Amino acid sequence: MTHPETPTPTGRPVQRRTLLRAVSAAGLLTPLGASLASCAASGSGSDSGTTTSAANTGDPKNPFGVAPDSTVDAVIFDGGYGTDYASFAAKTLEGEQQGVTVKVSGTTQIAQELQPRFVGGNPPDIIDNSGANAIGLSAIASQLEDLQQVIDAPNLEGTKIADTLYPNVLGVGMYDGKLAAVNYVLTVYALWYSKTLFDDNGWAPPKTWDEALALGAEAKKQDKYLFTWGKEAASYYLTMLLDSAIKSGGDEVRLAVANLQPDAWSNQALLDTLAKMEEVVKQGYMRPGGAGTQFTAAQAQWSQAQEALLYPSGSWIENEMKNATAKDFTMTGAPAPTVTDSPSMPYEAINNTPNEPYVVPSKGKNTAGGLEMLRVMLSTEAATNFAKTKLAPTIVSGVVPKDAFGSSALASQVAMLEGAGTNTFSYNFVAYYGMTADVNVLFNSFLSGSSDAKTLAAGMQKISDKIREDDSVTKVQVS
Amino acid sequence: MTTADPAPTGALAVDEPSSPSPRRTPRRGRRRWDLDRVSLVAVFLGIPFTFYVLMVLYPFTQAAYYSLTGWSGFSPTQPFVGLDNYVRLAQDDGFMSALGNSLTLLVVVPAVTIVASFALAVLVTFGGPTSGGVRGLRGSGVYRVVSFFPYVVPAIVIGIIWSQVFNPANGLLNGLLTLVGLDRFQDFAWLGDASTAMPASIVVIVWAFIGFYMVLFVAAIRSIDLELFEAARLDGAGRFRTALHVAAPGIAGSVRTAYVYMGILALDAFVYMQALNPTGGPEGSTKVVTQEIYETAFTRGQFGLACAMGVVLAVVTLVFTALVFAVVRLVRGSDGRTA
Repeated sequence: MTHPETPTPTGRPVQRRTLLRAVSAAGLLTPLGASLASCAASGSGSDSGTTTSAANTGDPKNPFGVAPDSTVDAVIFDGGYGTDYASFAAKTLEGEQQGVTVKVSGTTQIAQELQPRFVGGNPPDIIDNSGANAIGLSAIASQLEDLQQVIDAPNLEGTKIADTLYPNVLGVGMYDGKLAAVNYVLTVYALWYSKTLFDDNGWAPPKTWDEALALGAEAKKQDKYLFTWGKEAASYYLTMLLDSAIKSGGDEVRLAVANLQPDAWSNQALLDTLAKMEEVVKQGYMRPGGAGTQFTAAQAQWSQAQEALLYPSGSWIENEMKNATAKDFTMTGAPAPTVTDSPSMPYEAINNTPNEPYVVPSKGKNTAGGLEMLRVMLSTEAATNFAKTKLAPTIVSGVVPKDAFGSSALASQVAMLEGAGTNTFSYNFVAYYGMTADVNVLFNSFLSGSSDAKTLAAGMQKISDKIREDDSVTKVQVS
Repeated sequence: MTTADPAPTGALAVDEPSSPSPRRTPRRGRRRWDLDRVSLVAVFLGIPFTFYVLMVLYPFTQAAYYSLTGWSGFSPTQPFVGLDNYVRLAQDDGFMSALGNSLTLLVVVPAVTIVASFALAVLVTFGGPTSGGVRGLRGSGVYRVVSFFPYVVPAIVIGIIWSQVFNPANGLLNGLLTLVGLDRFQDFAWLGDASTAMPASIVVIVWAFIGFYMVLFVAAIRSIDLELFEAARLDGAGRFRTALHVAAPGIAGSVRTAYVYMGILALDAFVYMQALNPTGGPEGSTKVVTQEIYETAFTRGQFGLACAMGVVLAVVTLVFTALVFAVVRLVRGSDGRTA
């Protein structure tokens, strides 16, 4: 599933993912044995091994001191982006470092496959910890390298990597003052629409919620709806709500919700935005039935049947729906609307939480190789290759040309990023604390009209309180 | 391997006819450990038992132990926390509601499946015309085969098919309902409404198994002496009465087995629920314990807690099985074992 906070840009239909997951789980979960055997671990391995810890050599060509003729073990999430972009970077690395070979293996079952390797003390050297079966970062954070050393290192062209990145893209990988993960793919959260349809009707994407309501009335005249949603992706509306409220109320809204504060959901900017969304629901501008509709089917109601005008999502949406998008759709993104036309942050401000968290386990056999792999990926050649083949930007800026390789969605992402400048923000507490399932429950009820803004806010506060008060959950202080 | 054996070979010792020893009253089952017997025991008992211990008992014990730890699933160490996990489960609304949903399935699914498949079995075995020999409805062979079809389809496929049938916008069900003029079902989200999601899911599971249990019951009814049915008919018993007083008691053993199987399946239900409502359904109304285990272990990284849930589920399963056996024995008297 592609939840906004779950780093899972998907190009493949969900049935396959659900099927894989269900089938694999079915194997584990036959009754009795089921529940019990699924918990079994392999024996604990010894901590000793041929671990070569990364030592900063100062050599710009080989800053981490990768041993010649060593092997790098890379495990890459085989989702919407596939693994070929990693293989591309692997080839570059092999060309740069004498005799080093990189073994790239793809999987969708990151947690299931790597769990015994972490327990046994022989994890891979670099992991793209993404997808529905990603390992919760809190479970492994203490076993990961601080990746700040990669950010401080020069890229293959000799420029310091820190100077090549978009602003505010590393924060979501911070864990206890350590950069535990580098999220590679930049994701722009926006309201997506068909430029063709909007131009034909003389519509413009709404800048305020009142404009959104007016647009909803216009849509109704043509028997269309303003929005649609799918049951597994109801949480996309949480992202839109938060983005809108953060723009209205400023950064304090983001800090309050992400730090699970006891009064986070009493914030006035949040409640005002929520009230507008409630009005959208009450006016019947949501396409009915979303709570029972599989999310890619719901998305097709927007991109294929065009029964709904707008869809809030991350920028993976173009790739995800490319086989179910109407001709001449010209998919374009716009920043989230706000309640007033004078919000704390400009209208152009966007949520650009990056996805695809890359981590380097400290106990890998070749951590230097893992770090080097990440350095190569953050260099111009690999980043350009990614943008070109996946039509999505990485966190490396300035590698997408003006024509955006012919993709309207990518072009609008770059335009939104440029428009926002440093007015970008990111958060990933929903995925971090595993809240998505609970959020979906609340939003499915809210969007289908069977609950209201008050219930939603109270419910969100309750989820947040429960996690805050659970001592067994490691909290991350967001700043 | 070889136990001290005074006789040159086992075969000789047994076959010697002239041995006068009073101990020579060879009782069956007290044979010596000759090679034949040892290898037999090793192959047919030793290997399976070792396998069972390694692959079943050991993981069970291990999981039970993990349930007493705060293991995240990814660390080499498992901090011991005693019964904390169980205390947390008792206070966890999410888990308790999932347990409630699993128990609902446990009560409803086997009952509905078994009653319905018994009714169908009756129709195709002796529900036919009351004149002539005792027989089923016309074309019962066809019904039998057709109703078995769903059982052949893998669970995940059934889940996907039905989630399409329940699709609010262009699903078969809403299409049919609106076609006959029930306009309120336009875009009705069967799996997205807290009041209908669970019943809709139950229908799917029942649909998947009804044919299989019908076939099972047909075979069981066939094994009842036909004269009993004829006698009942001569005594003026109608089909319903015959079903209740002749067929039902005659197949009690099969019903018990079916009940236990269906019950265990209902407690699992993972594939169906995951395919129909991977998010646990509206208001969590279709979230079952197995889904909760999966989520806790793999997305929240709390294997210790997940193991505790597993232990609770295992205990529920055992209690359920014991209850079914006890009830059947109570109803049928001590011969509950036969049939």
